[in-house]
Amino acid sequence: MAKDIYMGEVAANEEIQIDYFLMKVTLPLSFSEPLPGQFVMIRIAGLHDPFLSRPISIYSYTRGKSNCAIELLYRVVGKGTQILAGLIKGSQVEISGPLGGSYSIDHQKKNIVFIAGGIGIAPLSLLAEALCRKDCYSAAAMTFYLGAQTADAVVGLNRLRKLCYNITVCTDDGSLGQKSLVTKAFQKDIKKYSPSDTVIYACGPKAMVQSLSKILDGKYFCQVSLEERMACGVGACVGCVVAVKDGQGKLAYKRVCADGPVFDLQQIIWE
Amino acid sequence: MNPSNKKKDAAMAVEIGGLKLKNPVMTASGTFGYGEEYADYVDLNQLGAIVVKGLSLKPRLGNPPPRIMETAGGMLNAVGLQNVGVDVFIKEKLPFLRQYDVAVIANIYGESTLEYSQVAKKLSQAEGVHALEVNVSCPNVKKGGLSFGSDPKAAAEVTRRVKAETHLPVIVKLTPNVTDIAAIAQSVEEAGADAVSLINTLTGMSIDLKTRTPHLKNITGGLSGPAIKPVALRMVWQVAQKVAIPVIGIGGILTAEDALEFMIAGAKAVQIGTANFINPRATIEIIDGIRHYLQNNKIKNINDIVGTLRT
Repeated sequence: MAKDIYMGEVAANEEIQIDYFLMKVTLPLSFSEPLPGQFVMIRIAGLHDPFLSRPISIYSYTRGKSNCAIELLYRVVGKGTQILAGLIKGSQVEISGPLGGSYSIDHQKKNIVFIAGGIGIAPLSLLAEALCRKDCYSAAAMTFYLGAQTADAVVGLNRLRKLCYNITVCTDDGSLGQKSLVTKAFQKDIKKYSPSDTVIYACGPKAMVQSLSKILDGKYFCQVSLEERMACGVGACVGCVVAVKDGQGKLAYKRVCADGPVFDLQQIIWE
Repeated sequence: MNPSNKKKDAAMAVEIGGLKLKNPVMTASGTFGYGEEYADYVDLNQLGAIVVKGLSLKPRLGNPPPRIMETAGGMLNAVGLQNVGVDVFIKEKLPFLRQYDVAVIANIYGESTLEYSQVAKKLSQAEGVHALEVNVSCPNVKKGGLSFGSDPKAAAEVTRRVKAETHLPVIVKLTPNVTDIAAIAQSVEEAGADAVSLINTLTGMSIDLKTRTPHLKNITGGLSGPAIKPVALRMVWQVAQKVAIPVIGIGGILTAEDALEFMIAGAKAVQIGTANFINPRATIEIIDGIRHYLQNNKIKNINDIVGTLRT
């Protein structure tokens, strides 16, 4: 037995933009340091409505002397996140994790490209931080494309500016940065990145990831973190599957929680 | 082990069709994977039994996503019995389970009576399988499953075919999606079933108002969780009065109190399903809770409360 369910305490839970919240949870030191891309299942201790825990990717991790803390960046989209949004400082939450696999970061490529849509910035921000910590070479090689519908939906930009010099911000309505889809902005620059010298990390809505898949056309190494409704978070319920090509190129359903949440973009089969 | 522990453990032991269990708490099929998924959270040795994810003759892809949706007090699923197939289970999953001192119950599924008997045969020859649970109640597959479980004759036929292929105790898992579940239970008892387990999920659905589409790709799914507990309890009570073989209670059990209700209604053992998803340690907490209940109420043996409902 190595894993546990941790009782966490909400240290802060702020609405940083309309409908976007940043929650800081303090946890015992036995909570292991998360890898970029990993997530937690969170639920309010003792509450059975909503019934299931919610999967949220880890945005940051800090370790102190007597405890550690994670930050979760989330958007209120339904009942579960609405109730999370109502939590005040000092509330108790049950956390299990860190769960799932992570982005692989042992690539010595010239260009490291991030493509995030909306809240998809959360795991990529943790990844950028990990890369910066690893070596300063990585920091210079990073380019971040961040997209959202409107300026109100751009979150995490200030923190990201401390990690990455090259950031292209896009909004659908042009209220911040370029008026463009984030994938289109990347496509305009694609000639700068040769497939052999580039690694791409992505996270965002399905439509964004699907459009990225078309643009890259299997020519680039690209890892993407996916989101699905989950029940268990540990691979038992087989509820959160995504269609992928297996080793023989045949259709298989892989669990986002246990086989992902990070997948090679090329593996994913789109309807 | 000191004598008082031994005594404590004897108080919790139950027997299901010749299979001796340390305690009456098992995992429900499809909610605990093949055991390994929860081994980091739970000492598997402490469980009464592990019922593994339903196995078919060939690997099954399962249904396309979305497969699950949360509902009031529970969830819908339409996984469609995605599984590795019986051969891969025996080769790759069973060795892991053999490391533990826990009863392993293989849940089996077939699209035909022949397939049920073939899967049963393979598992009976494998080392480390202690009983079979025959799934005649999956609501999410096109062939087999519920179609066998909703007809007393077909359910009996599957039971007979499986019994003919195995020396292991055979548990038949029943569907609640029938008019008279006791009639099906009696029919499989006559056909030789060693025990029945109930209930599987209730068919249900959920709709997305924005898109006017079902939340599940399969349109309908099986409802589980505390929402179904009263229905399950009623059915366990009805079946327990009609059959002499052990009844295993399943349906929305979250706590030891829930489990004890089922046992008072007539269940000799219980299975914990959806609760595992929200609390990976649910099984262990339920076992501890039952033990405390016995101690606090000075009940010497768990079997003494089975079927003691006062009406």
